[in-house]
Amino acid sequence: MIIAERRPIPEILQNIEGYEKVLVLGCRGCVAVCSAGGDREVAILAEALRLARTLSGKPLEVLEATFIRQCDPEYLEPLKKYKGEVEAVVSLACGVGVNLIADLYPEMRVYPGVDTSFYGANLSLGEWVEKCRGCGDCIIDKTAGLCPIARCAKNLLNGPCGGSQGGRCEVRKEMPCIWHEIVERMKRRGELEKLMEIWEPKDWRPAGGDGLRVRIRDDLRLNGGN
Amino acid sequence: MKNSFQITILCCNYTNLAEREDLASLLGKIEIKRYPCSGHIEITDILRAFKEGAKAVMVAGCSKGTCHNQKGSERAEKRVLGAKKILEEIGIEPERVEMFYVSRLDSGDFVEKAKAFYQRVLSLELKERAQ
Ligand code: SF4
Ligand code: SF4
Repeated sequence: MIIAERRPIPEILQNIEGYEKVLVLGCRGCVAVCSAGGDREVAILAEALRLARTLSGKPLEVLEATFIRQCDPEYLEPLKKYKGEVEAVVSLACGVGVNLIADLYPEMRVYPGVDTSFYGANLSLGEWVEKCRGCGDCIIDKTAGLCPIARCAKNLLNGPCGGSQGGRCEVRKEMPCIWHEIVERMKRRGELEKLMEIWEPKDWRPAGGDGLRVRIRDDLRLNGGN
Repeated sequence: MKNSFQITILCCNYTNLAEREDLASLLGKIEIKRYPCSGHIEITDILRAFKEGAKAVMVAGCSKGTCHNQKGSERAEKRVLGAKKILEEIGIEPERVEMFYVSRLDSGDFVEKAKAFYQRVLSLELKERAQ
């Protein structure tokens, strides 16, 4: 899922400094699962903003809502009713949600309430770790299912680098060297020689090197997509 | 300073039976809000208490291992940690909210801890006012 983290409250306060009534808008998608922008986090941020503004002598009215998703125009429909009612929206969705609000509701002032960080797995309560970087041209069929782009500090396609020691990454010792792990796994599978194959140069265009990434599936579109 | 200095105590309904009168010797206003379990106390409850005028918030739950709901008071401790982080971000000393594990069904222990917390916060407040 997409992992995000609440932005520092002083930054959010600065963004909404001039307003007297705002909406804190959560999302029940990824950001709810990673405890950054679901119902509970909306309530906490709203209360924190009210408290901070009360203390500074400029009380703030904060409305709270959480949508099923913010990355889908259909689920953003209910935002219409806040037009004219609030002066700004602080969205706790990932950057996708904030951007889509900005696209669909250009007259609304929307500010990000979280920093969108990475695609990760929830390994234990309160612990999320990056696993994929969405490069659009997956190569982990060749690397025993372990992604060197997201999990190697140098994004090497031909690791391990010379710095790996005892299975640990030289950049940060607490990180395992993913290339060490790839080699070990391929060895255990009896497929080590596959790593000797020369790969085609990786196509980085689907990783964003070719501008905005768009995916169209004609088999799913009706009436030209509307 | 009476009434200008408010402390709010958020606690479990079953930890103890202390009432405001048990803390009557303290100057200022003491608010006690009870919950079905301290695990039910949310970060928002703590922040709201500050917004409603508290200068400090004491969260009290049963000593570890004695919570009727197993881990309720340990959850409360985590919420206090979360609240401290937010308070710090908005410029309030994190020491103004503390978690206290109190002996179950022993109001004496609760009252003693409340008084000690009150004194600590009062000196913090006086120090700040002197600056
Ligand atoms: S808006 Fe972002 S966080 Fe919410 S569901 Fe969509 S992708 Fe996930
Ligand atoms: S190779 Fe690309 S798509 Fe595959 S897991 Fe790694 S970053 Fe994700």
